[in-house]
Amino acid sequence: MIVDVNLCQSPALRLAKAVHGTNNNHLYFFVVQMDEVLASVAETIKNFAVIYLVDITEVPDFNTMYELYDPSTVMFFFRNKHIMIDLGTGNNNKINWALKDKQEFVDIVETVYRGARKGRGLVIAPKDYSTKYRY
Amino acid sequence: MASLADSFLADLDELSDNEAHPDDEDLDAAAMEEDVEGDMPDIETLNYDDLDSVSKLQKTQRYNDIMQKVDDALEKGTDISSHGIVLEDDPEYQLIVDCNALSVDIENEIIIIHNFIRDKYRLKFPELESLVHHPIDYARVVKKIGNEVDLTLVDLDGLLPSAIIMVVSVTASTTSGKPLSEESLQKTIDACDRALALDLAKKKVLDFVESRMGYIAPNLSAIAGTAVAAKLMGTAGGLSALAKMPACNVQLLGSKKKTLAGFSTAASQFRVGYLEQTEIFQSTPPSLRTRACRLLAAKSTLAARVDSIRGDPTGKTGRNLREEIRKKIEKWQEPPPAKQPKPLPVPDSEPKKKRGGRRLRKMKERYAVTDMRKLANRMQFGVPEESSLGDGLGEGYGMLGQAGSGKLRVSIGQSNLAAKVAKKFKEKQYGSSGATSGLTSSLAFTPVQGIELSNPQAHGNQLGSGMQSTYFSETGTFSKIKRM
Repeated sequence: MIVDVNLCQSPALRLAKAVHGTNNNHLYFFVVQMDEVLASVAETIKNFAVIYLVDITEVPDFNTMYELYDPSTVMFFFRNKHIMIDLGTGNNNKINWALKDKQEFVDIVETVYRGARKGRGLVIAPKDYSTKYRY
Repeated sequence: MASLADSFLADLDELSDNEAHPDDEDLDAAAMEEDVEGDMPDIETLNYDDLDSVSKLQKTQRYNDIMQKVDDALEKGTDISSHGIVLEDDPEYQLIVDCNALSVDIENEIIIIHNFIRDKYRLKFPELESLVHHPIDYARVVKKIGNEVDLTLVDLDGLLPSAIIMVVSVTASTTSGKPLSEESLQKTIDACDRALALDLAKKKVLDFVESRMGYIAPNLSAIAGTAVAAKLMGTAGGLSALAKMPACNVQLLGSKKKTLAGFSTAASQFRVGYLEQTEIFQSTPPSLRTRACRLLAAKSTLAARVDSIRGDPTGKTGRNLREEIRKKIEKWQEPPPAKQPKPLPVPDSEPKKKRGGRRLRKMKERYAVTDMRKLANRMQFGVPEESSLGDGLGEGYGMLGQAGSGKLRVSIGQSNLAAKVAKKFKEKQYGSSGATSGLTSSLAFTPVQGIELSNPQAHGNQLGSGMQSTYFSETGTFSKIKRM
């Protein structure tokens, strides 16, 4: 199923959010927070991005490939190509913490879209998250 | 013309002695009868000792006739007149037309009498006229106070709002007036009585008109109600007069001038007259009242126009208009539609709106690459360029100043931008007083094209030599000339 989705060639950005299915939610508060942000943003960016929620306990095929070990991970795909984002955290492949601000997230998505449309494999995020662990 | 001459005569007479001259008075009175609208300058020069010289209306035949008819008609009660008769032939309609004219006349008469009372009472209590504006209220107050000096003995309770009573009492204690003589007091009281009687008559006439309103102007009554319609008609002086008025005037018919008496205008009402008393107006929420009164005035004017030509005797138009008004007011009270959250547009899908045109080109010229910079950017092959600090350090000059480049010298060149500046200077030059010598001309002989009309060197002169201080300018005159 997920492979089908990623192979689709329409010019829409695809965000895949991987989540552990059965665990206690309160342990993964930021998982739910991220879910909230994604849900509220979905309508706003629907013209250029689609959000998919993937349960990696049910679809474990990509776990090793993308190293999906965190509770919540957001990755970007464009025309079946994985797009990397320079967030300053060291890991350019995914966002694996909870972004609280909706507008920030929309900015990131827009940046990824612009870069991906131009053919870039790596885009630079508008905000630097290298200090995210300090606050 | 005769009345004017007579008024001058009356002036002279007043100056000489205060006694009434019967001849002049008669002429004046006759003039008064003819134009009852009253030439105000005429009236002021009249002799005031006798009330009857001022107010003649109650004695006229016309007045008495109409009042008699009104009384009869009121006693008869409402009679359903047949619609077969053409309106203008109907005696009742004629009576109503007369009543309207009469009510206007009565109003004017009241004003005249008010002036009379005021002038007489000025000796006693001059400030009262600025505190109490309404003529009938003034007359009542004057009658109540009479020759009394101490206002605490006078009870003005029912006549005025309590705030005004307070102000009046306070002002009376410090007034500069003196008590009147018995004779003038009597005259004043008579005048007050006359005014009040006229007011009563006017009320009677209006009541009569109101009772017949549904027949006279059904459409207007459908919108504004019979009472207000009668008042409007009365003040306008007839249905056709009302129909000829623009709606903005109709809105203001009957609006009172507010006595401020020290209160601020911050809370004062907007301008609306009799229409304030209509049911529609009273039932609209206060925030919408201004719009509602404008709407009401407009539609009632339309209805009045329909009525004046008897276009719709059934009153259906009026009822339709009333429905329209009601619907509109309801619509204003609707809450605005809920805001829909709009999704963002696709990034980069909408190309930026690029502007063009002369203005943009002129603006871009400021930042365009100049010829000098172009030359500096290029280099000759095999020839090291000169640089500002020498030896290849600093900025390179490129082709600037190189021997063997095609150009003789690099000038700034006159860009198109300078045309604007040059034009301004050209205008200045023609206005300058003798700054140019008599031998300069606008013609210039150039080798290439022969005679050129605009002298290119003139521009150079006008920008002035660089050595010059611009404070004492060679070419400039006053930079700003303002008419004081």
